[in-house]
Amino acid sequence: MTEGSASAVLECRDIELSFGGLRALKGLSFDIMPGEIFGLVGPNGSGKTSLVNVVTGFYRPQRGSVAIFGADTTRMRPHRIAAHGVARTFQNLALFRGMTVLDNILLGRHVHMGVGSGALATLFYWVWAARHEVAHRRAVEELIDFMQLQDIRDEPVEVIPLGLQKRVELARALAADPRLLILDEPMAGMNKEEKEYIARFILDAREERNTTVLMIEHHMDVVTSICDRVMVLSYGENIAQGKPLEAISEPRVIQAYLGERAAKRHVGAAA
Amino acid sequence: MLYRRAGIRHTSYRHERMLWPLPFDRYLVGTIAAFLIVAPFLIDRLYLVAYLLPWLIWSMAALGLNLLMGGAGQIHLGYGAVMAIGAYSSVHLVRAGVPFEIAMIAGGLASAMIGVIFGFAALRVKTLYLAMSTLAMQYIVDFVIAHVPAISGGTQATIQVPPVRFLGLRIEGDIATYYFALAVCTVVTLFMLNVHRTGFGRALAAVREKDYAAEVIGVSTFKYKLLAFWTSSFIGGVVGAVLVVCYLRSVSPDQFHIDLSVQIVAMVIVGGLGSVLGSFFGAALILFTPIVLNNLVASIAAGAGLSLSSDLRAHIPLMLYGALIVGFLVLEPLGLAKIYDNVRNYFLVWPFRYARK
Repeated sequence: MTEGSASAVLECRDIELSFGGLRALKGLSFDIMPGEIFGLVGPNGSGKTSLVNVVTGFYRPQRGSVAIFGADTTRMRPHRIAAHGVARTFQNLALFRGMTVLDNILLGRHVHMGVGSGALATLFYWVWAARHEVAHRRAVEELIDFMQLQDIRDEPVEVIPLGLQKRVELARALAADPRLLILDEPMAGMNKEEKEYIARFILDAREERNTTVLMIEHHMDVVTSICDRVMVLSYGENIAQGKPLEAISEPRVIQAYLGERAAKRHVGAAA
Repeated sequence: MLYRRAGIRHTSYRHERMLWPLPFDRYLVGTIAAFLIVAPFLIDRLYLVAYLLPWLIWSMAALGLNLLMGGAGQIHLGYGAVMAIGAYSSVHLVRAGVPFEIAMIAGGLASAMIGVIFGFAALRVKTLYLAMSTLAMQYIVDFVIAHVPAISGGTQATIQVPPVRFLGLRIEGDIATYYFALAVCTVVTLFMLNVHRTGFGRALAAVREKDYAAEVIGVSTFKYKLLAFWTSSFIGGVVGAVLVVCYLRSVSPDQFHIDLSVQIVAMVIVGGLGSVLGSFFGAALILFTPIVLNNLVASIAAGAGLSLSSDLRAHIPLMLYGALIVGFLVLEPLGLAKIYDNVRNYFLVWPFRYARK
C-alpha cells in the first residue's frame, strides 16, 4: 500500500477496536484520495459509525493508525483532529439547542476564530472581537446562500423541520472549510426530494470547496450515484471495496445484507 | 406598540449585532443608565446606600455566576468562597500598600487561580455531583480563611479596609463608592452582554449543550470549561473586592458563608439562567422582597389593628418570600427575565397577536 499513500487524505491501517470481548473493527485498512466521495456501507452494527468515531478521535483503537494528510492523529482528542481540517455530522443530529441557525453555523467557524473567541476579545468587543465576528459572518453568509438557509437563519434550531436541521448541521460542518468531511447518514429519514438536495450539496461541496467526503449511507441509490468508491463492512470486517455498483453486487455483500438463503435465491434470479 | 421593529434596516453585519437594535430598548436602557448616574442627587442617601448600592454589587455577583451557570451550564455552590478569596486578597494587598487598582485585579486573579482548581472537578463530574464538589470548595475555603490567622486574623476577627484611591479618586463617602460600584458594574454588564454575541459565548454554549458535538467542531471542552471557571471566578474575585471596599468596609469570615453562595445561586435561577437582565431582576427580588414584605406585613397588621406575636411577624414575610420564589418559578421556569421577555414579545406585535413567534 505504498502507491500514492503520501497524498492520501485519510489513511487507516489495521484499525482494531474492541469493546470488552466484542471486536467491533477487525483490522481495517483503507485510503481515501483527495476529491473522492467515499461511501461506507454495511448492515446495522457492522462498525461504520465506530470506524468514523475512531477517525474523529472519539474512540481510541487498540491497534492500528489513522493519518490525516500524512499527520498521525490516532491518539488525538477530537478537537485537535478538527483543527487538522476534519468536520463531521452525526447520525442523530447534534445541533446546539437554544441557539439560532446562524449561531450554530458560526460555531462551525470556531477552528478559525483563534483569540477572537477568547474572554479578552469579548471584553474589548468593539475594538477586537467585532472585527473577527464580521469576517466570520461573511464566510457563514456565503454558506447560508450556498445551502439555501436564508429564510431560517434567525430561527432557533429546535423549531425547524428535521430535513432542514440536517442541512444546518451539514452547513455547520462545511463552515469549518474542512478538507475531509465525514457524514454519518446525512439522509436518514428524508424523502426523495430532500435526499436529492443533500446529494447536490455534497457534490457542490466537492466541486466548489475541494472537500473530500467520507459518507456513511444506507440509501443504495444515493451511494451508487454519487460515491466514487465504497467500502462494505460486515461485523467489523471489510468484505468488499471498489466501485459502488461492483462492490454491492458481490455475493458476500448480498449475503451480509440478505442472509445466505436469500442471497442464493437472488443469485439464482439474476442468472 | 412601544417596541417597533418596523423600519429598522440593517446595512452591515456589525449593525445587525447591535446590543439593542430596537429604538425603544435603547431609550429604556438610556433612561435607566441616566437614572443610575443622577441617582445620588435625586434619591435619599439612605436608599442609595441601603438599596441601590447592594443591588449593583449583588447583580454583578449574579452576572459572574451566570456566566458559569447559564453560559457554560456548570453549577457552582461555592461562589461566596470565590468572592471571599478576592475580598481577602485585595484587602491584604491594600493594607500592604499596593494601589487598589492593582489589588482589585490581583484579587480577581487569586480567585481565578483557586476557582479554576475547583473547575477541574467539572471535567470529571456533572450536575449534582459538581454541585457537591463546589459545595466542598465553599467549606474548605471557609475553613482555611477562618483558621489561618494570617488571612483572617482569627475566627472572630474583622479586618478594616483602609481608605483607598482608584485612579487618583478617593473611594470614600456614599457618592464615590456608589459611582465606583456603578462603573465596575457597567464593565461587567457590558462584558456579559458581549458574551452573547461572540465566539467565546458560543463556545461556552456549545460545551453546555452537547460536549461531544463541541469537540467535533474544534471546541476543546477541557479548555472552555476551565476558561468558564476562570473567568467567572475572576469576576467573583473583583466583585468580592468591590463588596468589601464599597459596602462592607471591613472583612470577616462570616460574611462569605454558604448563605451568600445560595443567595447568589437563587438570584441566577430566579432571574433567569444565561440572562443579563435576569441577573439584575433576580438580585432585586432576592435582596428586596424580604424587606418589602416585612414592611407590608407590619403595615397591614397595624392597619387592621391585629396584634401579631413577634414570632409570627418575623415568619410571615419569610413564608411569603418562599412562596413568591416558588410562584415565579412555577409561572415561568426560565425566570423573571423570561416573564419580561413574554411581556415584551406581546407588545412587540401588539395588536397583531397572530404575528407572534
